[in-house]
Amino acid sequence: MTTSTATERVLFAENVLLKALLGWYVLFWAVMAIAPLDRPFWMLTNVLPFVLVATLVATHRAYPLSDVSYLVITVFLTLHAIGAHYTYTNVPFGFWLEDVLGFHRNHFDRIVHFSFGFLIIYPFRELLIRSARITGFWAYALPVSTVMACAGLWEVLESWIARMFRPELGLNALGAQGDIWDAQRDMAAALYGALLCTLLIVAARQLLDDDDDDAEEEPELEAALGD
Amino acid sequence: MRTSPFWHNRLHQGLLGWYLLLWIALAISPVNRHDWLLENLLTFLTVALLIATYRRFPFSDLSYILITIFMSLHAIGAHYTYEQVPLGFWLKDALELNRNHFDRIVHFAFGLLLAYPIRELFVRTAHVRGSWTYIIPVVILLALSGFFEIIEAWVAQIVSPELGDAYLGTQGDIWDAQKDMTAAFSGAVISMGAAAIWSGRRRGRAAAREGQRRRILPPL
Repeated sequence: MTTSTATERVLFAENVLLKALLGWYVLFWAVMAIAPLDRPFWMLTNVLPFVLVATLVATHRAYPLSDVSYLVITVFLTLHAIGAHYTYTNVPFGFWLEDVLGFHRNHFDRIVHFSFGFLIIYPFRELLIRSARITGFWAYALPVSTVMACAGLWEVLESWIARMFRPELGLNALGAQGDIWDAQRDMAAALYGALLCTLLIVAARQLLDDDDDDAEEEPELEAALGD
Repeated sequence: MRTSPFWHNRLHQGLLGWYLLLWIALAISPVNRHDWLLENLLTFLTVALLIATYRRFPFSDLSYILITIFMSLHAIGAHYTYEQVPLGFWLKDALELNRNHFDRIVHFAFGLLLAYPIRELFVRTAHVRGSWTYIIPVVILLALSGFFEIIEAWVAQIVSPELGDAYLGTQGDIWDAQKDMTAAFSGAVISMGAAAIWSGRRRGRAAAREGQRRRILPPL
């Protein structure tokens, strides 16, 4: 399985894992598409997955991502497909958590926000390292920033959609469940996910003592700061 | 070094002098002392950081000017708890708005004014070229803006509710956080768009000059 810093990529035709991931997602998505709780909501929440999958398919030849990136994207899209099917606020797992841990709301959406930070930071990091060629400190700070920026942009987008289509719902629109701090909590969840994944990447690099590492260029950053 | 040390630099002395004077004047009797203190926590941190890194990492003059303008706007906002800035009231009357928009202006200014210093920091330490040097500052600004909204929410939940609302400055708007982030994002996009066009034109002019010079050079 190729990682973000690996020097090679295996294209779809010869990549069993990629075929399995695509097969799994298409199948799962089809099942979740059969009788969603709220069809208009389901359509709305599926616009972005549709765009994302189309982009990934279209760019696969010219810009193949690592296997790990495709894997985490699939996990995230799977979680999102579940949320879209149940309008997020009615996901059974969230109700179960509510009962077991004594929450006063369905926390499934927050879990997916956390997952967005925890999972999607990996492809972001791959994209930034390979295309922008960032190294050292920036190779850790910028992926976190990108997750935060996307989380913020997402909240802005949500608020536009809510005001455009269902202004009468106010804070009950789009899974805020009446919480005035919903946007901030969602962004914080994504941030925690991103930070946790970054810590894991740092720890993994320490343990594995990677040689094709970009961290060895860190002295360059120090030099630049000093000049 | 790109800029000379502080004691030889009239511009830097002027900027710091101006800011200190303004800050002291606005610190004398703020509308709400506790809110003023809260608003100034980040100010202390930023100024301390800029002074501490002055020798090791001096910013360009333009960056220091932009930072000073932003800090001045924030000092005015902190003095009046943002909600009661006279300019905002005047705008409210003149443009028939339903709230004091000074805080939104400063969020916009955050993106517009600080994208350039952030770009400078990024370009000089990351050795990145091309369009990424304009995209990444926008990403960082939007991320900082979102992070600031999170901090605001924490502070508002920790301190007493009525002060929380003053500090938060939502003025009863449930979409306040999203609008603030949109303002900062728009400011950053405008600033980086202008920087990209400016540097493109400068490169174009330099190329044209180069062409001219070649034509008028005497043959060897």
